[in-house]
Amino acid sequence: MVSAVRPLDPLAADGRWWRAAGRLYMAVGYFFLVLPIATMIVFSFQKGQFASIPGQGWTVHWYAKLFEDGTLLEALRNSLIVSPLAATGACVLGFLAAYSIHRFRFWGRGAFSVLLVLPVLIPPLILGVAFLGLLSRIGLQGQLLSVILTHMVIVTAPAMAVIQLRLGQMPSALEEAAWDLGATSFQSLYKVVLPFALPGIAGGWLLAFTFSFDEFIVAWFVSGFEQTLPVAVYAYIVGSVDPSLNAVGSIVFALSMLSLIGVELLLFPILLSQYGSSED
Amino acid sequence: MVSASARRPLAAGVLEAANSGFSPMKVLGIGIPLVYSLTFFAAPLLFLVVLGFWLVENFQVVPAFSLENYLDIAQHMFAQSNYALAIAQSLWLSLSTAFFAVLLCYPMVLAIVYVAPRSRHRLLLMLAVAPFWSSYVLRLFSWQILLANKGIINSGLAWAGFENLQFNLLYTQIATRIGLIHYLAPILIVVLYVTAANIDRDLIQAARDLGATRWQAFRRVILPMSRTGLLVSASFAAIVSFGDVLAGSLLGGGVGNSVLGSVPLFSTMIMTEYASSTNLPRTSALAMILVLVMVLMLAGGAALAERSKVDAG
Amino acid sequence: MNALSDIAPPPQVDLELRGIAKNFGDFVALEGVDLSIERGEFVAIMGPSGCGKTTLLRIVAGLESMSSGRLFLRGQDISALPVHKRSTRLVWQNFALFPHLDVRRNIAFGLTLGRHDKEAVKARVGEIAELVQLGQFLDRRVSQLSGGQKQRVAIARALVTEPEILLLDEPLSALDAHLRIRMQSEMKRLQQRLGLSFLYVTHNQSEAFSMADRVVVMNKGRIEQFGPPEEIYTRPKTHFVAEFVGSNNIFDGKVVDVQGGLIVVQCADAIISAASGERPPGKGSTVSLVVQADKVRSRPIGVAAENSLRAVLSGREFTGSQVIYYLETAGGGEVKMVAQEPFSQTERATINMAMQLYWSPADTVVLRPNIVPGKENMPGRRSYVALGT
Repeated sequence: MVSAVRPLDPLAADGRWWRAAGRLYMAVGYFFLVLPIATMIVFSFQKGQFASIPGQGWTVHWYAKLFEDGTLLEALRNSLIVSPLAATGACVLGFLAAYSIHRFRFWGRGAFSVLLVLPVLIPPLILGVAFLGLLSRIGLQGQLLSVILTHMVIVTAPAMAVIQLRLGQMPSALEEAAWDLGATSFQSLYKVVLPFALPGIAGGWLLAFTFSFDEFIVAWFVSGFEQTLPVAVYAYIVGSVDPSLNAVGSIVFALSMLSLIGVELLLFPILLSQYGSSED
Repeated sequence: MVSASARRPLAAGVLEAANSGFSPMKVLGIGIPLVYSLTFFAAPLLFLVVLGFWLVENFQVVPAFSLENYLDIAQHMFAQSNYALAIAQSLWLSLSTAFFAVLLCYPMVLAIVYVAPRSRHRLLLMLAVAPFWSSYVLRLFSWQILLANKGIINSGLAWAGFENLQFNLLYTQIATRIGLIHYLAPILIVVLYVTAANIDRDLIQAARDLGATRWQAFRRVILPMSRTGLLVSASFAAIVSFGDVLAGSLLGGGVGNSVLGSVPLFSTMIMTEYASSTNLPRTSALAMILVLVMVLMLAGGAALAERSKVDAG
Repeated sequence: MNALSDIAPPPQVDLELRGIAKNFGDFVALEGVDLSIERGEFVAIMGPSGCGKTTLLRIVAGLESMSSGRLFLRGQDISALPVHKRSTRLVWQNFALFPHLDVRRNIAFGLTLGRHDKEAVKARVGEIAELVQLGQFLDRRVSQLSGGQKQRVAIARALVTEPEILLLDEPLSALDAHLRIRMQSEMKRLQQRLGLSFLYVTHNQSEAFSMADRVVVMNKGRIEQFGPPEEIYTRPKTHFVAEFVGSNNIFDGKVVDVQGGLIVVQCADAIISAASGERPPGKGSTVSLVVQADKVRSRPIGVAAENSLRAVLSGREFTGSQVIYYLETAGGGEVKMVAQEPFSQTERATINMAMQLYWSPADTVVLRPNIVPGKENMPGRRSYVALGT
């Protein structure tokens, strides 16, 4: 009984046993990956101080409590101040660096690139201690500003990477055409390069925002009474078991998912080189 | 005779005058990120090293050049604070976590690459990466309520009739590992996917054509060619686990129970010591030791990976 | 540089290049390039890849710096002028249109850089668009255009700023063959209507010859020959040009006799006579003789003729309206013959058929090996230079 039109792939695990095993393993694996998030969302709507099965009924009580309490909400507000600013700063630095690397040949170009990427590779614990060391010397520790400044160092790397990717797709003729028509370097940057790089900058911003939003350790070391969300959550968890955290978690997850979708929409076309270029 | 294209400098947007000169754009474009990075990244790190040699007097940090911190740490290595044991504990945790993480993620990747249809790969990878986007801290909280003694898993089992099947997981090192593996899984899956996807399918087909069973094809073709990727992933997992603070404290209870007894992890220890003493120079010295161990792990991992590359060919 | 090179050229010349040289490290991309283009001239630059033609164009535009030499545009020395201050305009092979702007804004780009009068700009853009037949496309986005339309936008964008010369870098090679030929005539018409000088780089011979007033043939960074198309085609001055342009046969030999306005040369396969020109080479000197393939005819064996050569047909190539015959001589050399009407011969030529080829001495161009001045003893630097023309 020949049903397939194309020749059978000898690699296809046509042994039923293998296929089934593979699918089962994937199912279990994905279940594991999704479990904590699903738990968080489901139990944010469950009555009962201690999450257990069977549940004790549905409610939005925890969300209400969250808005009443204020500590976590305030931390959320702080994070929503810190992360966008850090992401914006990172995009500015990242764009300047990416453009310079793209266009200019200068001594130490490779080292410059490495220097900007390095923060991602250093364990956050070390960075936290280090940042605190410097900031306390110059009296800048314990504020939201300290978190913004230090996060900028860390999240510039992903932002720069995405922008570099996008700039790599820009045909050199585009800037040359602008110059040829009379634009100065600055005018060409502003009128041609920036519009072209925009999807990359946007994708980089979202990526930087997400990383900053979730960042705990550095923020813990460097912030003071005004805490960012991860820091406040940590204190909460250590202090008490409170399902309000589920509510916070769900909100954070929802925000991150929106961000993720945005990144998806912006980044994947770039990665697949489908976004508008001047060539056919 | 060198070909024209080899000698021609890359055309990408190069206006030659800008190469040698100091146009304002060049100065700003390179200068601003450079200055920022040096000030807020390089300086703190260098300062960290220096800080390890400073002292605290009367609650003030005082510049000095003293080995007192390191001596103090050495004294406490095997007594009192027992740093050595903490380091051993962290090493044990990180290496075992790395081992299990790779062991569990690898079959997952193989399933994706060889069982799932090609068109679904992108979707599957995206799903695998999704947890990465939610807050790590909050995920750990979820694990807490899942693994607690009267938590979701245990109460669920009881409700389903398995009252006798209860897992005492929270505040053990197993819980820490679960949290860490969940954290590492997305990255490991992506890295291992790239490794596995790059294995030339023709080789496997050839092996099958020559009569190898699937298991043999795996053992003799796929596995050897994955060796480098596996080692790199394992090194990465080990290093990240070693430096992790959250899983250890939230799931392991700060003083995780393990084969070595009830010993805190080195990273947690650094954090708690700082929280209680706010002796920054001493914390810096401890952090330096952490870095040292990590560098050694990195070097070891790189050496193993190099060796495996030569063998695999 | 002597004092003469500092004097600006007379104003009828639009563009003058003096001694342009360009090195990339050790690699010499351009050497000793001298060129002058008159107002309203269409000049094509032609040559194999790597010959330096694009580099030369970019130097004129200001996108590459030159290692030495001077550049004059309408009498002004622009050698040190940066690209954005020059009134040259470049049209790219891949159009280089700005993807985020619509057609109108693309065209208007050069005019909107400084202070400008919006209405005046709008009017000007409209005018140019009409000129290149883009009137209805002004509000389209670039991605919605076809190749030919994009090319016209590129040209319009360059022209709207009223440049003093238009530089074109293989502008039609991204288009398909039919469109290419149509655009060629459109472009030529446009150029003549505007009276603007065009400097046009191409690797396509027929394109260069059909559009240009004068053609520059380049090889390895040097200009081999510069002149009207007919001259390049029928009177190649160097060995390279003879081989590169058109379809030519080249015979090497020694001069055995010079008399009555003819030189007689003993070549490997035959004795060939050629018109001697004003300064004929002496007896015994080595020369190369160039005969265009379409000047070669065949006739039945046995009938005597000037410059005849026996050869055997080894291959045939149909190229649309022509047939190229490849023949092998007794000495193993190859001769090419082009016939315009392939099916008119009453005897159809068959492979291995022996044929008698002949051509006129007047159609034979004489090249004499000429040592490049100053490099007497360097091997491989000999180039053949035409005599007396």
